[in-house]
Amino acid sequence: MTSFESSPSLTPPTRGPRSSRKHTAKVDTTGLYTRAIRESFIKLDPRVMVRNPVMFVVWVGTIITFITILSPNLFGSVPGQNQQVYNFLITLILFFTVLFANFAEAVAEGRGKAQADALRATRSDTKARRLSPKGVVEEVNSTNLRKGDLVKVIAGDIIPADGEVLNGIASVDESAITGESAPVLKEPGSDIASSVTGGTRILSDELTIRVTADPGQGFIDRMIALVEGAERTKTPNEIALTVLLAGLTLIFLVVIAVLPLIANYRGSPVSIATLISLLVALIPTTIGGLLSAIGIAGMDRVAQFNVIATSGRAVEACGDVNTLILDKTGTITLGNRLAEEFITVNGHTQQAMAKVALAASIFDQTPEGKSIVSLANRLGAKIDFDESKSEGVEFTAKTRMSGTNLPDGIHVRKGAVDAIKGFVRSRGGNLTPELDAAYEKVSRLGGTPLAVCQENEIYGIIYLKDIVKPGIRERFEQMRRMGIRTIMLTGDNRITASVIAAEAGVDDFIAEATPEDKMRVIQAEQAENKIVAMTGDGTNDAPALAQANVGVAMNSGTQAAKEAANMVDLDSDPTKLIDIVTIGKQLLITRGALTTFSIANDISKYFAIIPAIFSAAGLQSLNIMGLASSQSAVLSALIFNALIIPALIPLALRGVKFKPLTADQLLQNNVYIYGLGGIIAPFFGIKIIDIIISSVGLK
Amino acid sequence: MKNLTLVDEIGIQRDNIMQLLGSEKPQKSIPLKLFLALCLNLLIAPTVYAASSGSVSRTSSYAIGLLLIVTVALAIYLLVAMLQPQRF
Repeated sequence: MTSFESSPSLTPPTRGPRSSRKHTAKVDTTGLYTRAIRESFIKLDPRVMVRNPVMFVVWVGTIITFITILSPNLFGSVPGQNQQVYNFLITLILFFTVLFANFAEAVAEGRGKAQADALRATRSDTKARRLSPKGVVEEVNSTNLRKGDLVKVIAGDIIPADGEVLNGIASVDESAITGESAPVLKEPGSDIASSVTGGTRILSDELTIRVTADPGQGFIDRMIALVEGAERTKTPNEIALTVLLAGLTLIFLVVIAVLPLIANYRGSPVSIATLISLLVALIPTTIGGLLSAIGIAGMDRVAQFNVIATSGRAVEACGDVNTLILDKTGTITLGNRLAEEFITVNGHTQQAMAKVALAASIFDQTPEGKSIVSLANRLGAKIDFDESKSEGVEFTAKTRMSGTNLPDGIHVRKGAVDAIKGFVRSRGGNLTPELDAAYEKVSRLGGTPLAVCQENEIYGIIYLKDIVKPGIRERFEQMRRMGIRTIMLTGDNRITASVIAAEAGVDDFIAEATPEDKMRVIQAEQAENKIVAMTGDGTNDAPALAQANVGVAMNSGTQAAKEAANMVDLDSDPTKLIDIVTIGKQLLITRGALTTFSIANDISKYFAIIPAIFSAAGLQSLNIMGLASSQSAVLSALIFNALIIPALIPLALRGVKFKPLTADQLLQNNVYIYGLGGIIAPFFGIKIIDIIISSVGLK
Repeated sequence: MKNLTLVDEIGIQRDNIMQLLGSEKPQKSIPLKLFLALCLNLLIAPTVYAASSGSVSRTSSYAIGLLLIVTVALAIYLLVAMLQPQRF
């Protein structure tokens, strides 16, 4: 990337408004539930189960109760009839509790695997037309292509490898990767439009491509590795929650282990199956069973936005973000800045200005450069020099200008006003207040002023018009309510930056920023213990992407940027950072809500089981639910405990509905809805199940 | 060279033995763990039987002994899950 404002690389592809586009890649989810059911049985392997402490305890309990079906009096004689049937029912319910938890995880994992399969399907070997150095076309297998090879693709072909367009203009169907059905125009000379991905299909015309990746190193190969993610590592919040859940389970295990001593002393012995039921009802099985599914679903929701997260940690960090660093162009504004007007100075005519602007932009392949050429042509400007004998001067972040060295030795330049002033001054030219007035006029309109000069003479200012995205102000308002600070970075001057910042409603802005400023801002924010998110696409963004807590690289960006970032946006749309932060927040809220619900549930289950079991010990008055018998109380609580897991799977996968509120308001809502709801719901649920059990004669 | 006292010598020998045991510690397999648990139960079950004053059968005392071992093992496992959660 050259600069924040002059590079088109942060500009999203022209695919229509984002709200009208689908964000789901072409993932085949047919048979997802059948596969999940099969997977939930496979996950019963103790080596897999041991990774989830809460459910492992339930699994061990299931095995013990299974033994008691075969020999009900194995652990000593227990009072009561039909012990085998009772133990069988308990075993069955416990088994389904484990199975439901496995199913929740398997469904969540299923989508990621389906996405990897969809990507793998596009990776099939194809025939490629390789161009030899002599220009002869030879047909080879795509696996034989190497970096630097030239290939020719024509309409209908699958592009054999990742590459850069050298010649031709064609429309390409990238839906295999992005899920976006509208074809994308590919042409040489533009950061986004010139890069093609292996596995996508060319729909019209033909292209000559230089291969940029060896076999197995292509974009799709890397994405498959990312989506499959081999072993998913726990995020810091998941680790903290695991400690809490394991601690609660341990406490209840100790409590249940000493209960028989008290029960026997009171002359009211309790069977092992009942004790295990009590343990399972009291430990937080709901959140224990859904914990990993919530995390995986969070990553999946990010993937549905066509963003590949390298780890759950990155998604989770999004939820804690305090500061968002955003580029102006393409993120806050529409990004397709076009030349609107030439404002002449020093008495030059529009035609003279147009001629110099055309000469300065003839080698500029950015959308801005092309729009200047187009405006100059409309004003009747023509090229009156030999292009082949001229030399194009590219834009750099250091010089902040571009232009052309004409065959007769004359230098024409366009660029940031300060940079052009310096150029003119170095050649002995004079600067007039007229230039400053034009510069200020454009800046106050929120446009980008570009000065144009020929040697030591300034001809005027080009007004590059950019428009703030509709609805972006409301989004920033939401961010503010969530306690997130937004900082806009722009290469524009202070006046333009302040106008756009005020219009968009960002909290702060940094004008005339260089890529290094990103790094400086991130470090300053992190020094205040803030979590920072940013987007980038250039090699010089890579250090900042690595430094940020959440770095989102654009798919159209360089390899270095993609490797430094912890997320890659397949649509190359920087605005998505805002969506990703929302998903991260939603993930944390969902986990918090279900944990609250799960622990609150225990209180009700406690009231259901304890009085029923110890009715002989005088605790019958606590049986406020009026449950029929101790056996039906235990079965009802266990059935409720098992059924609540599949009932909450949709919520765990979809996430709790997100509202942009402050942390305090969110906590209050959580306590009311999931805390109180978690206490009340089991009272009704257990009572209803108890009535059903009693009516079918199972009491 | 400093003369070693008996206390020093015991310490050195203890370290050597621990090192030797550590270097030759076999990878404990599940069957071995189960075997050790059953052996441990040979100590626990008679204790349970004696404590019950005949109210539980000999077979039950072995089953209760095993259940105690499983409970303690689960408690240790949960403790490890709390102390080293990243392993799970």
